[in-house]
Amino acid sequence: MNGSLYLRYLTRELRGSAGRLVFFVLCLAVGVAAVIAVAGLSDGMERGLRSKARELLAADLAVESRRPLPAELDGILADLGPATERVDLKEFVSVVAADGGSQPGKSRLAELKVVAPPYPFYGELELEPAGVLHDLLDARSVVVAQGMLEPMGLAIGDALRVGGESFVIAGAVLSEPDKVNISFTSVAPRVFLSQAGVDRTGLEATGSRIKYRALVRLPGTDADGVRAAARQVRLQLPDVEYMKVETYAEAQPGLRRGLERAERFLSLVALLSLLVGGLGVGQTVRAWLQSRMDSIAILKCLGLRPREILALYLGQTVLLGLAGSVIGAVVAVGLQSLAPAFLTRVFPTYVIEVWQPFAILRGVLLGVGVALLFSLPPLLTVRRVPPAFVFRRDAAPLPVSPALRYGVGGVLLAGLFVTALLQSGSWLLAAQFTGGLLASGVVLALGAWLTARLVAGAPRSFSKVWLRHGLAALARPGAGTLGAIVALGLGVVVVLTMYLIETRLGGQLNADLPDDAPTAFMVDIQPSQWDGVEGLLNDNGALDITSVPMVNSRLVSVDGVGVESLVEQIPKDEPRNRWVLTREQRLTYQADLPESNEILRGKWFSDESLPEVSVEREFAEDMGADVGSVLVFDVQGVPITLHVTSIREVDWESFAVNFFLLVEPGVLEEAPQFLVATARFPDGNEQKMQDVLAADFPNVTVIQVRQVLDRIVEVLGQAGLGVQLLGAFTVIAGILILGGVVSAGTIRRGREVALLKAIGMTRSGVVSVYTVEYGLIGLVAGAIGALGGTLLSWAILVYWMNVPWTWATPAPWVAVIGTVVLAVAAGIGASLRALGRRPVEVLREN
Amino acid sequence: MKPPAIELRRLTRRLPSGGRDLTILDGIDLTIDAGEFVAVLGPSGSGKSTLLALMAGLDRPTEGEVLLDGEPIQALSEDALALIRRRKIGFVFQSFQLLGNLTARENILLPLELNGRKDAGARADRLLEMVELSDRGHHYPSQLSGGEQQRVALARAFGPEPSILLADEPTGNLDSNTGKLVLERLAELRREHGTTMVLVTHDEQVGALAGRQIRLRDGRLDRDAAREEVLT
Repeated sequence: MNGSLYLRYLTRELRGSAGRLVFFVLCLAVGVAAVIAVAGLSDGMERGLRSKARELLAADLAVESRRPLPAELDGILADLGPATERVDLKEFVSVVAADGGSQPGKSRLAELKVVAPPYPFYGELELEPAGVLHDLLDARSVVVAQGMLEPMGLAIGDALRVGGESFVIAGAVLSEPDKVNISFTSVAPRVFLSQAGVDRTGLEATGSRIKYRALVRLPGTDADGVRAAARQVRLQLPDVEYMKVETYAEAQPGLRRGLERAERFLSLVALLSLLVGGLGVGQTVRAWLQSRMDSIAILKCLGLRPREILALYLGQTVLLGLAGSVIGAVVAVGLQSLAPAFLTRVFPTYVIEVWQPFAILRGVLLGVGVALLFSLPPLLTVRRVPPAFVFRRDAAPLPVSPALRYGVGGVLLAGLFVTALLQSGSWLLAAQFTGGLLASGVVLALGAWLTARLVAGAPRSFSKVWLRHGLAALARPGAGTLGAIVALGLGVVVVLTMYLIETRLGGQLNADLPDDAPTAFMVDIQPSQWDGVEGLLNDNGALDITSVPMVNSRLVSVDGVGVESLVEQIPKDEPRNRWVLTREQRLTYQADLPESNEILRGKWFSDESLPEVSVEREFAEDMGADVGSVLVFDVQGVPITLHVTSIREVDWESFAVNFFLLVEPGVLEEAPQFLVATARFPDGNEQKMQDVLAADFPNVTVIQVRQVLDRIVEVLGQAGLGVQLLGAFTVIAGILILGGVVSAGTIRRGREVALLKAIGMTRSGVVSVYTVEYGLIGLVAGAIGALGGTLLSWAILVYWMNVPWTWATPAPWVAVIGTVVLAVAAGIGASLRALGRRPVEVLREN
Repeated sequence: MKPPAIELRRLTRRLPSGGRDLTILDGIDLTIDAGEFVAVLGPSGSGKSTLLALMAGLDRPTEGEVLLDGEPIQALSEDALALIRRRKIGFVFQSFQLLGNLTARENILLPLELNGRKDAGARADRLLEMVELSDRGHHYPSQLSGGEQQRVALARAFGPEPSILLADEPTGNLDSNTGKLVLERLAELRREHGTTMVLVTHDEQVGALAGRQIRLRDGRLDRDAAREEVLT
């Protein structure tokens, strides 16, 4: 068969199969849309982070520290070149309040940013009124986030109290290029002010969580030059291990790492919906070929070689795969362009580049590949169609060699692994994914086989004819029960797993706080202020008021090894480890073990000869310390040596104030310190309390626990939207498959209905027979699928995400019932046409 | 000497049925010369269609040999058999067996194109004319009557001028008038092309059109008929 003839028959063969082909294309389009949307969006974010790296940093190079930057930085920067420019920023949270006159005005937590010209070196601050930030800022004015005005009942020109001082709101910020700090604590809207402004408030003296940041511009320096400059800074700057030196060339490594992790997970989820679609494609091809048995036999009679016929149908699969994938790609691009609007709170969306041709191409190829992969087993039947079929309907199928059959199985499995590898980029994840799918498939196949065996062996002595026939239909040879149950069951596993994980994660955060948990935290209380603050708390109905002293320090060495060399030994991909060593260590001291703590090893402060410290278990592991270790801290210039005498387990979910490092009393009392207090407001008075505190103790920062949790729920909700969307894709693909499974039997069904009617069964009787047959298919697939989905989500939640499991969900039951209902509905739906026809029409055709 | 167009030697076909073997054809010996027109007669279930399928390499014998133009075909691969059918054999079936997604003309074109005939289009048009369906070439099988469909099938079978034509109850699904017309056309085309033809039928009248009649009963050649054959 030459090329042009091949192409001609390729297109001719597609005629008259419109319904089935639409189904094929839909199955695939859904999965491909999911895959491309995920890949396109994450590529778009990743590329955006790189191409807008300068804007996101607002500089070429930045140095950040929790303490004022060393004076040596100036000299080091000067050495980098005569044109080097530097501008310093400070960021910290504080409570700001509307001016309420004689009453305390409405207050809220804000993120203050102290800036000076020429910030930002790169990127634009969008302001209202339009203009330059520094023209609006002076010692008595602030510029605030647009989103903060209305909730506080403020407008441009009104007064805002910051640190107890009154400022005029000179403008509003609409967008800020370098606001990429996507942590749960950055809940607060931005307030810009000048150095002169912050000097008026005195907040810098009492604030314990100030981030000092030097932005550096290196004119005319390329990425390599900037990297070299960063190396220079790291080499020469004292105490640099406690600081973060970033360049635009690294393009937000933390953010990209998080993105990569999210992408891996979401890519596999998307792949699942594509594979569920692939199952549907496989079923469609099977049904399609069944309806083409006559044509295939005739073609063989006319002298077409089996491999030519196989090529014909393979070609059609590719064509349809391409059509489905392209439609999926169009849907995906549409979704991607909508995505930024939903991600504003979790990502600097201005950087997202929506058009990602490579992701689209990859998705389309993946779609075609999956279509081919799942079509291979049914396409084998082309070889099996006996040409003698034209004479005898019962002609025995041609044999297919076991090597070919196992070969196709092997190709399918290898193909699954390759797609998983492409999507996750990890051999281990790909192997786990393929193994999991294989195991689920095997269990489902076993279940299907067992069901058929049980039904076949069951006594057929039911008095109801429809029950007898329904069961018999399921068990008869060649009923296709196995394929239907496996396809359907896998769909249920995927959909239920997604649903359970998603609702459990959301549910955990939405759950009510423990009754005795504090509902507000107050930090930066100066020791001299405590009596006043405590009085106010009591006056406003606060219960369970506690306070602990806090001393800021830096870790200098663990067992004599300096932090600098410890940091050097840490592999690059373990950022937490580094954080444990170089963070601003917050020490507290108290005589008794706190309630939500438990000693795992060693003894609670018992050695009178040593200054002791108790360390939280995971923190100790990360810093490489255990009972007997010696830790040296730098407490504002004074070295303090502490001996680890106990390791504690902390119940962080208690929401009480807890510390990684607890020091024995008698060591830190003289160090500069402030207090952290907690309180519980049973009447929900947190806001009122905050307003009062903002008026009387403006340097005290109040954190309302409920607000923070709500913010986390909101952020996770935005991130979870993608997962929900992908889950919806999988559900749609699952429902499509069900239709495919059922329509695969349409031809047989038509003949059966005609026969049953011919021998006198009423239409309702026929419907009952199918209800039993499909109900049972749905029940077995639903039950095994629900069990598999529950087990899988349990394993993922408990072992992977460390989230405690709860059984309190009706979802698995709903899944079983839903699958039964869907299967019966689809089965009867597919038989409707046959039910409506006169038996003789159908029988004459056959 | 030219070998016979079709030669069957001790041809046996057994099928498994309900756990045991059912003998459909039992040691058939038969020789059909090139250009001969043979009718295979017999009641339903006597093995007529199986015989035809074996002759065309559509089925494989349990024992014995099938030789086409002196070449044994029973050991050939599916691909090789397909090529033999493409070049040598035409079929006409009781249920027409047209490809439903191709128009009448495209059905006729297919074997011509498979054989790489440069004049495929022109020949298809001429064949349509010969079976008096020139104006219906663009219709799909479902839009044609039974007689029209069978005439398309005739045109398709004779298109590539096969040396052997196998017809399985070609009038079985047609009323007697239409059947007669189709048979006339079949005979005409055979004469014109000098084709070797094997026609399976249970209808004595139809069988009488052939130069030689073979009778099958329970998978064997009917001895009376065979003797008759020897005597004539």
